[in-house]
Amino acid sequence: MKKLFLILGKRVLALLYLLGGLSYLASQTFYWLFIPPFKKERIFEQCKKAGMDSLPIVSLIAFFIGVIMALQTAYQMQRLGAEMYIGSIVALSMVRELGPVITALIVAGRVGASITAEIGSMQVTEQVDALQTLATSPIKYLVVPRLLALSIMEPLLTLYANIIGIFGGYLICVYRLGVSSGMYRYITFSALLYKDLFTGLFKALFFGMIIAFVSCYEGFKVEGGAEGVGKATAQAVVTMFILIIAFDCLFTALFYFIFP
Amino acid sequence: MIFGQSKLELKVGIFVFMGLVILTIFILSMKDFKSITAGYEVNFIFNFANGVKIGAPVRFAGVDVGEIKEINFVTTADDPKPKVRIVGSVKKNITVPVDSTVWVNTLGLLGEKYIEIMPGKDYSNILLAKQTLVGVDPIPMQEVSVLARDIAKHLDESFLRIINKEGTVGKLLYDDAIYKELEALITDVRKHPWKLFIKTKEKPEKK
Repeated sequence: MKKLFLILGKRVLALLYLLGGLSYLASQTFYWLFIPPFKKERIFEQCKKAGMDSLPIVSLIAFFIGVIMALQTAYQMQRLGAEMYIGSIVALSMVRELGPVITALIVAGRVGASITAEIGSMQVTEQVDALQTLATSPIKYLVVPRLLALSIMEPLLTLYANIIGIFGGYLICVYRLGVSSGMYRYITFSALLYKDLFTGLFKALFFGMIIAFVSCYEGFKVEGGAEGVGKATAQAVVTMFILIIAFDCLFTALFYFIFP
Repeated sequence: MIFGQSKLELKVGIFVFMGLVILTIFILSMKDFKSITAGYEVNFIFNFANGVKIGAPVRFAGVDVGEIKEINFVTTADDPKPKVRIVGSVKKNITVPVDSTVWVNTLGLLGEKYIEIMPGKDYSNILLAKQTLVGVDPIPMQEVSVLARDIAKHLDESFLRIINKEGTVGKLLYDDAIYKELEALITDVRKHPWKLFIKTKEKPEKK
């Protein structure tokens, strides 16, 4: 019984430490965001790493998700003779939900993990301390470019994922189920409203920020040698996944009540 | 040729530009954008609106030309009974004659309601913005079922009379007398077919 309380207390304290650390990091980052000098080269470099290099895998997975959505809904919709409406189901679920979440999970796994490993190994080789001795804030130098890059690139990648997912559904509907091409486009876009697109993009922006903060935080927290880096990377990916899904649920519920 | 930093910037620029192009495609082809396009507003007055909703399409001669903007109740000084006023938008290039017929129609799988305008003939007299068309009221389902019940009741009464062997049809179905007489007549005619050629008894008497 005592052990149970011990574990519970340990978990709750760990969660509070995480939240505290993240909020401190976030406040510091937003402070340093507006302090010159602004080095755009570092931001561009991170944009390439986070955005462009993730595009192939994001496109591939979004395409398959679109195809799968179309096929799975066709299974039921064909019985009703309503193949026509598959377009709007694929479009709505991609734009509102799957686009932002799938993109965020891929970027968390691909970019977030690499950021943690990078900052973590800088931490264990004392490069972060070296930055401080050079009167350079590690937050300004390491976190700010990554935050900006991920916040800009996440919504953009989500847009790419949306359009490619819809294209996947289009291929199945037009070449397999015999829906006409114009009809599919009409059904797709007549179902979408601005609120669907922009709530999805807002979610993507927020997920980008989560990925930047959690991966940097876990990187700075690394202790010990190579083993510590590995542990922190695993921990970072798990934390990012949980936070992304939890905030997705929260936002979905919130938007459901705000914009009925 | 561009190298190093500029090349990186170029690549990121192209990536961001393509993203913005996709965003523009989405924004321009979405439903909300279509409803922003210019049109004029006309009013439709109904006594009964049959559950039509804001955002439902307005169709002119079977083609979507606009949508419903608002629904409210209006009362006039001479009639205390509130009427439903539906404000619908119609595209600028569509002219609606004043003698058009308007009613609430039902569409598709889920029974979506929309406003149907059947164009009239008098194109010299065109509906202008903010003017009003009085709609033909849809028959409420309640009235349809009352009507069906009345019809069923009348049918039931008729059938009851038939079953009770009353009236012409009842007797035809249940009374053997007619059948027997017919049979007797046919046997008689078979035996003496010449009887058919004698018209009346008066004829030979006249000769």
